[in-house]
Amino acid sequence: MAADTWGGIDMDVRVRMGERTLDASFQTSARALAFVGPSGAGKTTLVRVLAGVERRAKGTLSVGGRTWMDGSGSTMPPWERGVGWAPQEALLFPHLSVRENMAYGGAERSAVEQMAELFRITELLERRPRKLSGGERQRVTVARALLSRPQLVLLDEPFSALDRPLRAELSRTVRELLDRRGIPLVLVSHDEGDADILADERWHLVDGQLVRN
Amino acid sequence: MLVALQICLAPVTTSAQEEAGDDLLVLAAASLGDVLPRVAEAWHEQGGMPVRFSFSATSRLAPQAVQSSADVFFSADEEWMEWLQSRGAVDADDVRSFLGNRLVLITPASAAEPVSLSGLAGVAELALAGDNVPAGRYAREALMHAQAWEAVSTRVVRAGSVRGVLAWVARGEAAAGIVYETDALAEPAVRTVHVFPPGAHRPVRYPAAVLVNARHPEEARAFLDFVSGAQARDLFTARGFSTDDARGPAQAAERGTGPSVGSAIRISLLVAFLATVVGLLPALAIGWLLARHDFPGKILLSTVVLAPLVIPPVVTGFLLLSLLGTRGLLGGALTALGITVPFSVLGAAVAALTVGLPLYVIAVRGAFEAVDEQYEELSWTLGVPPRRTFLRVSLPLALPGIAAGSLLAFARALGEFGATIVLAGNVEGSTRTIALAVYTLLESPQGQSATWLLVGASVAISLAALFGYEALSRRQRRMLEDRRGR
Repeated sequence: MAADTWGGIDMDVRVRMGERTLDASFQTSARALAFVGPSGAGKTTLVRVLAGVERRAKGTLSVGGRTWMDGSGSTMPPWERGVGWAPQEALLFPHLSVRENMAYGGAERSAVEQMAELFRITELLERRPRKLSGGERQRVTVARALLSRPQLVLLDEPFSALDRPLRAELSRTVRELLDRRGIPLVLVSHDEGDADILADERWHLVDGQLVRN
Repeated sequence: MLVALQICLAPVTTSAQEEAGDDLLVLAAASLGDVLPRVAEAWHEQGGMPVRFSFSATSRLAPQAVQSSADVFFSADEEWMEWLQSRGAVDADDVRSFLGNRLVLITPASAAEPVSLSGLAGVAELALAGDNVPAGRYAREALMHAQAWEAVSTRVVRAGSVRGVLAWVARGEAAAGIVYETDALAEPAVRTVHVFPPGAHRPVRYPAAVLVNARHPEEARAFLDFVSGAQARDLFTARGFSTDDARGPAQAAERGTGPSVGSAIRISLLVAFLATVVGLLPALAIGWLLARHDFPGKILLSTVVLAPLVIPPVVTGFLLLSLLGTRGLLGGALTALGITVPFSVLGAAVAALTVGLPLYVIAVRGAFEAVDEQYEELSWTLGVPPRRTFLRVSLPLALPGIAAGSLLAFARALGEFGATIVLAGNVEGSTRTIALAVYTLLESPQGQSATWLLVGASVAISLAALFGYEALSRRQRRMLEDRRGR
């Protein structure tokens, strides 16, 4: 999606999370957006709403000028949204190798290898997920999200298992790549440092409520 | 599903019974179990059609005769034959009565003090066949005639058939019992202490008839002609039966043909395998629905599928017979398709499948539920819609658990007894599985060693299947564990 046609995000959604409610109502045209807050504030739920897998969500949502939730319960299914989702748990398909995981969304071999080089996981390509460390999994998960030709990238605590220097370096790598390709980003993290590098606009999420920075 | 089963079965039935469907199916009272196979052998040697038998208590066979397409029925008394006539399963004109027997009181051959009829009140237990079994009815009449009933009625123990009585007394587990003379003659471990005189009870007759639903009525009539003919008469009288009014010399009979160990194991494995393979798709579909979908009627579906887990298998068998029997709700349609369920391997597989499906579904549902739904959600966001996600993610991740469920269903199918005996009968070489063969051997005088062989095989196969179940379940758990890294 070219930079000049990005229509921003217009969200007005509520999700009941047990006893609390996530109340996410905002409008933005920023391309790189961060939601920062303590754990349990509803960050992951917010990302799941954008990914289209949160069945409890009610309200309206339009992204890049397209309607994803129209308020009547009709929702664009996740397989049509084109989101590159890197879930917090660094979920890799356990029956597939790292290479197969990265190519799952249909990426070509050369694209997979390029991305592997960028994330310094080339030597892991033939391994099974269970042989990876937590940090290695996170890198594969983010790489896979970027390889699925996304219209919007969703990163949920993407590099929390890495040490500071590598974490900052990879965050910059992701930022450059997204800027170059003109792909918008939503990041959620409890860490302000991630947001400093990856995002232009920052919201705080506390107890299910959004506060503009 | 039934059609598929029938197709799978075609080559097997051929090997098991020469030519598929080209044989007579004879349901006969248990006390004829030694002699009728001999007569059938002689008939077959002279060019007659091959004959398969299902031997049991008349009371158990008669209801099956109504629902099945068996050819010939041998009753151990007139009453059950009249009952069949009243149900329209037999034409009165077709009934022939040419075989008779006598009732005797027996004790174990090893008993130190012989029991007499007058001393019956002192025995610890008196074994009789069941209340509705002809041998049990005759015995009660004879005891009432001897004015001994009041004294012994509290000591009576009931066996399922006259063969059961014989086995109890032979092993000394009952101090006395009443059986047919022919049974006593065939069992060296019992001693006859009293022969009830004619007039003490209604005469023991074995009316035989061609059933209305017979697949081969002409051959069945020819078979009955042969059975009542001179050559067969010698075989009967040699074993102590009376034919018409002539009573032959009573000699100890040779041993009859009992269940074959090899055939029982083969049939069990075949039936369990068929039930497992045919059950796979329904188990996958229902297990997946229950694990991942909410829909109206979900509880109803789950209840119906799981019901055979708690309904007595005999009841399940009866319901299946009412549904799939030749006179059942679907019987007409099945017959039109050339499919016969009762007394066939198909019937045994259907019974095993129905009773095994609940465990199958529970295991498959568990296998799918063990897969974190986030894997599927993640796959969707990567552009793969649900159906392909099922094939690429859910199914491979659940596979070890599904395989474990198949083994569990296989093991349950091996153990199936109650529904099988009602729906498929106990036909040597065709539906007599390990469980039925053991049951048959327990009521027959011969074959302790064969029993142990079957018991050993049954336990070994079942434990192997359960071991595989456990190993595969563990494998799925390991595969899904540690996904969050170390």
